[in-house]
Amino acid sequence: MTAVIHAVGLCKAYGSVKAVTDLDLNVEPGEIYAFLGLNGAGKTTTIRMLLGLIRPTIGSVMLFGEPVGSGGRGPWGRVGHLVESPTAYAELSVRENLDVARRLHGLRDRGVVDRIVARMGLDPYAGRAAGTLSLGNLQRLGLARALLHSPELLILDEPANGLDPAGVVEVRELLAGLARDEGVTVFMSSHILAEVDRLATRIGIIHQGRLIREFAAGALESLRARRLEVEARDLDRARIALTEAGYAVTAHDARLWVTGAEPLAAPDRVATVLVNAGAPPTRLAPAQDDLEAHFLKLTGGHP
Amino acid sequence: MNRFGAALWGEALKARRTALLGFSVLAICLLPGVGGLFMIILKDPAAAKGLGLISTKAQLMAGVADWPTYLGILSQGLAVAGSLIFGLITAWVFGREFAERTAKELLAVPTPRSVIVAAKLIVTLTWALALTLIVIVLGFGVGWAVDIPGGSTELAWSAVANLLLVGALTALLMPWVAYLAGIGHGYLAPIGWMFLVLALAQIMVVLGWGDLFPWSVPALISGAAGQSAARLGWHSYLLVVLAGLAGVVAVVHWWREADQVR
Repeated sequence: MTAVIHAVGLCKAYGSVKAVTDLDLNVEPGEIYAFLGLNGAGKTTTIRMLLGLIRPTIGSVMLFGEPVGSGGRGPWGRVGHLVESPTAYAELSVRENLDVARRLHGLRDRGVVDRIVARMGLDPYAGRAAGTLSLGNLQRLGLARALLHSPELLILDEPANGLDPAGVVEVRELLAGLARDEGVTVFMSSHILAEVDRLATRIGIIHQGRLIREFAAGALESLRARRLEVEARDLDRARIALTEAGYAVTAHDARLWVTGAEPLAAPDRVATVLVNAGAPPTRLAPAQDDLEAHFLKLTGGHP
Repeated sequence: MNRFGAALWGEALKARRTALLGFSVLAICLLPGVGGLFMIILKDPAAAKGLGLISTKAQLMAGVADWPTYLGILSQGLAVAGSLIFGLITAWVFGREFAERTAKELLAVPTPRSVIVAAKLIVTLTWALALTLIVIVLGFGVGWAVDIPGGSTELAWSAVANLLLVGALTALLMPWVAYLAGIGHGYLAPIGWMFLVLALAQIMVVLGWGDLFPWSVPALISGAAGQSAARLGWHSYLLVVLAGLAGVVAVVHWWREADQVR
């Protein structure tokens, strides 16, 4: 089956600054691919190359097996996109903005505008000038424009940007529904791992212009570091006892982290060691890196 | 609707909604307004004496109150003010997409980029020609109302042809403003360019090369450059057309090939 997105050896340099280096991407039909990275990691540059907005210094992009080439060539009738912050013609109404997009996509059916306005909850604002919209509603307008022509591929840059918590959930459900029910492939960037964790089928992490990790979303759980967290009144004595018993122990604030498979499988033995050493635990609990901590570890940040 | 029709519809809608449309009409209406005021002053200097500085200025600039003088004011005004107003329009039509970061919505769509640029250029050209027509219609209306002496049908048709030529040649040079709006990602570069070529046009006329410099030609045709107009020939018109075409090629090429980071 032809990959929906097939990018090979993408590099983009601005003078001596390398924004993206040697990036390969392969996104299959129906996937929700989350492209994760810190600010300035190269997410938007990659998205712009996928959309033919900027030309790779080296490498090539194919969408649906068709090359994205010079002069803006590409299968744009099958692609919906939202790049960086949402924008619209301020003096035109929401409906007129969408009507301009409808015509540029060559859609004859005027009803698509009303349907997408209703779907994105923009009915109350349809006649209002886009310049008066809040950031959240502007984002909805951007998403409406991306979805207007029922694309088979959505390329979205930070789609939850500016939305309130209810809006974030709504967009997540919308994208999940599009992938599940209509087979739409979604390529979305984000800098918040938790935001995409429940949505993506595959996650790629970009850091300093390089794709440093790529994994199925289900694998994320097993990749995150697990440990046993111990609290005791005499923390020094507890640490010495556990170390002498052969456990790998590190102190973190007012607790000890005991790592390795054995203490997680048998926390009762850890408790016995502590009781016998005269430092009984006041709390003993398995714990796991939260998503953000895991992301920061991968990208070389804290913790 | 075909691709070009779709793009043209969108560009026309944006143009219709902008406040710049009203401002440009108001600004161009000043031309016949000021011309008419000068004629009133010159027709009756004694009555206009109370106007002080304006009266003196009118006598220095225009001289006598007749149709040839009045139409000369319109033509010269169109050559100078037209290049600035048409330039502002072009800077807005093209530059706003970058200043407001809306260009990205035009670049990855089934309508080719060259078609979008063509639609923008057509809107710009139509807008400029409409303003020229306003100068012609309002100009004759004001002239008639002020009852300027010395008119003839022959003179009227010659003035219409002259004004249309000045307006059209000025508008033909606008693709370079559009190009500058692209590479400058907004309004500043094209506005800077407008003032630069306006200054260069004056210098070229003074040096006696005005007929060879496309941006000087509209002013020479209008009579703003005095005797230098004698050098004008087909080569001058051809240079304007060639410069305009080169501008079209430059702006289309830029939209198609340049990295679009806004």
